[in-house]
Amino acid sequence: MEIKRRDFVKLIGAASVATALPGCTRQRPRNLIPYVIPHEEIQPGKAVWYASVCRECPAGCGVHVRVREGRAVKVEGNPVHPVSEGKLCSRGHASLQGLYNPDRIQQPRRKREDGRWERIAWDDAQELIADKIKDLIDEGRGDNIAFINSHQTGSLDALINEFLNTVGSARRLNYEPFGYESVKKASDTVFNVEKIPQYKFNEANYIISFGSDFLETWMSPVKHAREFGAARELQNSRMVPFLHVGPRLSMTATNADEFIKVKPGREYALALGMVHVIVHENIARGIPRAQLNHVRAVVEDYFPREVERITGIQFEKVEKLARTFAAANPGLAVAGNPSLDGNNGALTTAAVHLLNYVCGNIGRTVVFEQTDLLENIDSYANMRRFVRSMKQGEVSVLFVYDSNPSFTMPEASGFNAALEKVELKVALSSYLDETSAQADLILPVNSPLESWGDYEPSDGVYGLMQPSMKPVFNTRMAGDILLSLKALLNNDENDASFYDYVRERWREIHQRLAPNTDFEEFWVGSLANGGRFTDAQTMTVQLNDRFAKQTLEELKDREPVEQNGFELMTYPSMNHYDGRGANRPWLQEIPDPMTQMTWENWVEIHPDDANRLGIRNGDKIEVRSSYGVIELPAYVYEGIQPGVVAIPVGQGHSEYGRYAENIGASPILLLSASLADVTGSVKWSGLDVSVVNKQERLRIANVAGSDVQGERPFLQVVTVEELIRNSTREEKEEYPQIYEPHEYPEHRWGMTIDLNKCIGCSACVTACYSENNIPVVGKEDVRRGRELSWIQIQRFFDAREDSDNGRFLPMLCQHCTAAPCEPVCPVFAAYHTNEGLNAQVYNRCIGTRYCSNNCPYKVRRFNWWDYDFPSPLNWQLNPDVTVRTKGVMEKCTFCVQRITDARQEARLEGRDIRDGDVVPACQQTCPTDAIVFGDLKDPDSRVNQLRERNKARGYHVLNELNTQPAVMYLKDVVEETTS
Amino acid sequence: MNQNFLYPLYIILFVGFTALLIVVGCERQPTHPRQPIDFSHKVHVGEYKIDCEYCHSGVRSGPVAGIPSVQTCMGCHQLVAATEPEIMKLREIWERGEPIRWKRVNVVADFVYFDHYPHVSEGISCETCHGDVGQKDELLPTPHLHSMTWCVDCHDTYEASKDCMICHR
Repeated sequence: MEIKRRDFVKLIGAASVATALPGCTRQRPRNLIPYVIPHEEIQPGKAVWYASVCRECPAGCGVHVRVREGRAVKVEGNPVHPVSEGKLCSRGHASLQGLYNPDRIQQPRRKREDGRWERIAWDDAQELIADKIKDLIDEGRGDNIAFINSHQTGSLDALINEFLNTVGSARRLNYEPFGYESVKKASDTVFNVEKIPQYKFNEANYIISFGSDFLETWMSPVKHAREFGAARELQNSRMVPFLHVGPRLSMTATNADEFIKVKPGREYALALGMVHVIVHENIARGIPRAQLNHVRAVVEDYFPREVERITGIQFEKVEKLARTFAAANPGLAVAGNPSLDGNNGALTTAAVHLLNYVCGNIGRTVVFEQTDLLENIDSYANMRRFVRSMKQGEVSVLFVYDSNPSFTMPEASGFNAALEKVELKVALSSYLDETSAQADLILPVNSPLESWGDYEPSDGVYGLMQPSMKPVFNTRMAGDILLSLKALLNNDENDASFYDYVRERWREIHQRLAPNTDFEEFWVGSLANGGRFTDAQTMTVQLNDRFAKQTLEELKDREPVEQNGFELMTYPSMNHYDGRGANRPWLQEIPDPMTQMTWENWVEIHPDDANRLGIRNGDKIEVRSSYGVIELPAYVYEGIQPGVVAIPVGQGHSEYGRYAENIGASPILLLSASLADVTGSVKWSGLDVSVVNKQERLRIANVAGSDVQGERPFLQVVTVEELIRNSTREEKEEYPQIYEPHEYPEHRWGMTIDLNKCIGCSACVTACYSENNIPVVGKEDVRRGRELSWIQIQRFFDAREDSDNGRFLPMLCQHCTAAPCEPVCPVFAAYHTNEGLNAQVYNRCIGTRYCSNNCPYKVRRFNWWDYDFPSPLNWQLNPDVTVRTKGVMEKCTFCVQRITDARQEARLEGRDIRDGDVVPACQQTCPTDAIVFGDLKDPDSRVNQLRERNKARGYHVLNELNTQPAVMYLKDVVEETTS
Repeated sequence: MNQNFLYPLYIILFVGFTALLIVVGCERQPTHPRQPIDFSHKVHVGEYKIDCEYCHSGVRSGPVAGIPSVQTCMGCHQLVAATEPEIMKLREIWERGEPIRWKRVNVVADFVYFDHYPHVSEGISCETCHGDVGQKDELLPTPHLHSMTWCVDCHDTYEASKDCMICHR
């Protein structure tokens, strides 16, 4: 035998493969790096929590940031903060992916002549700006310096003003794409105060929403959802009825007991009709007789038959509704939504203000506060004026902070064209978005989780922000940048920090709130608390004397001209809001609750219209207005009015990082530049558009297997009437058993989910992704059904024959007592613990997927790949949970790491686990408290009490299979809207 | 040229290389870690009888025992043995304000969660698992710390829970 060198190499190759195959991979020694000086708060392996404020939208929820070894790994609501009370929405959770976004700008950059970016040192960048500003001041053009920022209050707000004062300019825009112009206008017209009231859902005995999506994006969704959940608590089988009137079955609308579909912009008529009935039948409350006559005169045209003509709602219904609402004492009518802007938004809100006024709800469920900082948000009219000054060359230096007007301003407004006239554009931004891409200089700013600051969402609520960790990149706080610039301009050597600035401002708050205490104590206390919270200073309002019949006419927007057959309606996306959430992979992958779409935006079109044009779900359609044209997949949707197409705002980014780019199209491209006639807002709705079928199927990633559940009632609904009539449980509980019964010596973990409280917001899903290191798989894999969500919000439209509302079913591992997954596992990776968990041992799993095939609930998830967490996204991973590898099955564990933690805490304290010690991530964040977890063996536990109190509503999904789940659902309830 | 005389050489190379691959490729443990400072447990524990928890202070209150901070080392070594060459290294590191980059000796897999405090609080001594470190100048990987049998046997003896979820989650 002769071996040639070539053969030798082959053999060696084969041998190395053979040795590598048995799977013994070498673990390289890793470093152990202790502290130089130990930090008194930090113990390795244990989490530290810091209180701060979420700045993902103007709601300003208080948060607690969980930090492990110096890295923020989870965000939860701050229980003492009056806005969030411990709860948080999906966007709040995803703030972590803003912090660790792999596309964050890592150091200052300057644009070269050839349009490419180059690095620049912080000092050089700041000097460059300071020199430019000094030149302008010397030329007497200090007022050519302008600042656009997202809505700010408190220290940063004051500092921006101070900075502009220093340079001698007043060009400042507090810009939010979804401002509150129509609410301000309505309050001004009806009550003579240009304010946005606070709504108290939990104080109301009847809730009507006039096109307001208050549970999704409007004003303060977490607070609203929390209070809404409290209002919908069943008391003696009854609860607060909720009626929604509007053009589109939004997530808020679908939670209503009754959804009345009307043409966009016609909602106002119902409100005025109700006022008409109330004042004519003398059932108004708390208003003087003189005013009663005044109101009668105002609404004299809106007798119920006229309302029927405008809205199509039968006049008897209008009368009944008016009587029921007036009798609620207090009820709550709420209006206001970007989708109304340009489509009788101010009129609807004014009508609703009037309705609340005649029912005596003002001051009870609708409260005006002394300080309302949301009113500082600049209107679109101001932005337009600003664009004009840019065009005329009146702006030489423009700072843009945490705002993306290039994306959110209608293209036709000319913002982007005018931006070119600005000599020096400075983006104080964390990301390369559409606006910062056009900047000359980008100064990357800290994420809110790395920053000092404060935020006042409403009167008396002073939220305080502290950095939860050191900056990930070479970034600075916006406040620090402004202070350094100010120092450079004043030739001031003394470079104060923004931290000192915030502290100084808090000395004032200290003086106001607790002048007799020690400041240091007050400051430390505020930091621990997440701020200081006092009762709001409310104000009383009176009906404006000059409010007349004619005023209502003046509030009317022009009727849209219908030439091309369709009326466009745009609305803020639940996950992406105005587009700022689009670069967070969780928010892309977690489905929109109503449409169940992921990684996409879409055009909602009524089936009648779709049939006429031959459009099916997922067909590419072209939507054209006089201002632009976009192409998107169709979503054929019963929930929209015929003749209307609705498109969510937020997608269609040309810049904004790998997760946001080249997804969908932005409906803002279709919008007209002109202002809404009455309010001066963007005309988000009411535009005339044409729709063309492009005869092409698009690959959409929709996770709804089916919109209907057919004959298998996964999701069960009862009316209060049925509930009162039939108060026993119908479910058969005893079935024969094949296997030996399990014994649970100490605990049997279980869950109760109240479907009546679940609003579908999907915050639990995001919290679960965050807590359990669930990877994002991307559009292609979602399309193939490979998403890895451990809990998903399933949506069905056919739960009741008498209603088309969509309803939500949070579906997660049921932790069955007789679990079908367990006996089929050939390697005992799926097994039953003695506390009742259907456990999955990742290191044992060999990926046969038998368990998943045998699971009737389809809640087991398989890792088809090793999923990537591009750095630094991997910093977010929870160190307490294994990161699963390719070929492994995974599923809900009831947050077993939290159970273990609670057990060990209890052991250290020498006691047993108490009810409430273990709170899984989904329950922790649920704004309506729909999910309750606990020990089924403890008769006093909350989870058992809830089952006991709601015996008639309890059921198990697929009970007939005899899997004996540990998750019990309580049936959804429909209340009567008229009595 | 007749290459037959190279034949045994090929065989030897082949066998040797394969053996090397097996040793290197199948080495589950870190190889002999070189520590930045020649720290001796024998001196500290064996001779001076310093309690384990003086340095590994997290052991009763948290999942990880912890490696002492440079400050803790300097607490004694400001004065003690200050002129020894290894202590001079320590002092340099301290003065530079840098941490010590110790090499990890015992590494358990990522899917294993071992918490010190439940074990220590039940009265399991450090030596039970870590052996008599007071005998050793240099710590090398302890093979049994990486085998599940070791854990399970002990859990058996003490009638502790053998639920998978106790360590794997």
